[in-house]
Amino acid sequence: MKQFAEWLSTTFLSVFIQNHNSWAIPTIQSIHIVGIAIVLGSVFMIDLRLLGWAGMDQTLRQTTNRFGPWLMGALWLMLATGILMVIGEPVRELMTFSFWLKMFLVAVGTVIAAVFQRKVRKHQGDPVVSGPLKSLAVLTFLIWACIIILGRLIAYDHIWGSWSPAAKS
Amino acid sequence: MDIDAILRWLEASALATRIRDSLYIFPFLESIHVIGLALVFGTIGIVDLRLLGVASTARPFKRMASDILKWTWIAFALTALTGSLMFITNAGVYYHNFYFRAKMALLVLAAINMLSFELTLGRSVHRWDKATAAPPAGRTVAVLSLVIWISVIFAGRLIGFTTSRAKEVAPTPADLNLEELFQAAPAESGTTAPSQKK
Repeated sequence: MKQFAEWLSTTFLSVFIQNHNSWAIPTIQSIHIVGIAIVLGSVFMIDLRLLGWAGMDQTLRQTTNRFGPWLMGALWLMLATGILMVIGEPVRELMTFSFWLKMFLVAVGTVIAAVFQRKVRKHQGDPVVSGPLKSLAVLTFLIWACIIILGRLIAYDHIWGSWSPAAKS
Repeated sequence: MDIDAILRWLEASALATRIRDSLYIFPFLESIHVIGLALVFGTIGIVDLRLLGVASTARPFKRMASDILKWTWIAFALTALTGSLMFITNAGVYYHNFYFRAKMALLVLAAINMLSFELTLGRSVHRWDKATAAPPAGRTVAVLSLVIWISVIFAGRLIGFTTSRAKEVAPTPADLNLEELFQAAPAESGTTAPSQKK
């Protein structure tokens, strides 16, 4: 991985971002944060509807139809800006425990969101919100919150001690 | 009142010292700050898009705004609290930082923008509550709101990139030098750290 990261840092795009890092990195990160806001905002609204805390004038189907596409669209934006950040600072990103744990949780969160939206869409009429579904609402919000925390911790990977790959090299 | 004395007092406070001395508290505060601002901008964006007639157009505006904006305020309180705690750890540097000042000015603009809406169109909401989009003044407020909040996010991110450098450049009183160097610990060290950034 270290070798891959070092190779990546010699590629044209990486060198370009490094040479313009005074504006390129903060700009990409800021767009990434705008994406975070759309993702977390959308997850939040769907979860509040599941918990019965907001949007009760809308059916669950109406709620997922409203926010699902924004959630998925923003995830693509996150992927694009995320990839640019990895290309721009490969060693800083890839050689961290936080990054890989984050990627694992992103996969889990994305699969849950996609499966959930498909289930709601296939369901005849509006699904009854059951207890387990409410637990899922809380769980998904916590997953995305952890993803955000881990994203920030990439910059502080030393707090993981020996779990951080950087500590070994 | 001497602002620099207040800033120094904030930095020297037990709370600020506690945060600086910890390996975990500052990153934790930053993370909660990001979660808070994501919810602030995410929920405000939903209301703005409703005003513009882009999304949620079938929902009456008033019902939707009262449904969502209480969560915006809770998230804003969380963001303001974590922001203040981060501020006191390095108050002097943040206070003199250009992007910090720009961000505070933008927050004031956001407040003025919101107030101007509440005091004008907010009072005649029954006339356009079910319309697909708000009247032109409402759409203008919505565009301004989106632009201001996105600028707040950019300014916020740039504070992190410019304050660690300011720490190196800014002449520090000799008796504080050692402490400051060690307390700069939360500065983000990329593994290669070609540039200092937060």
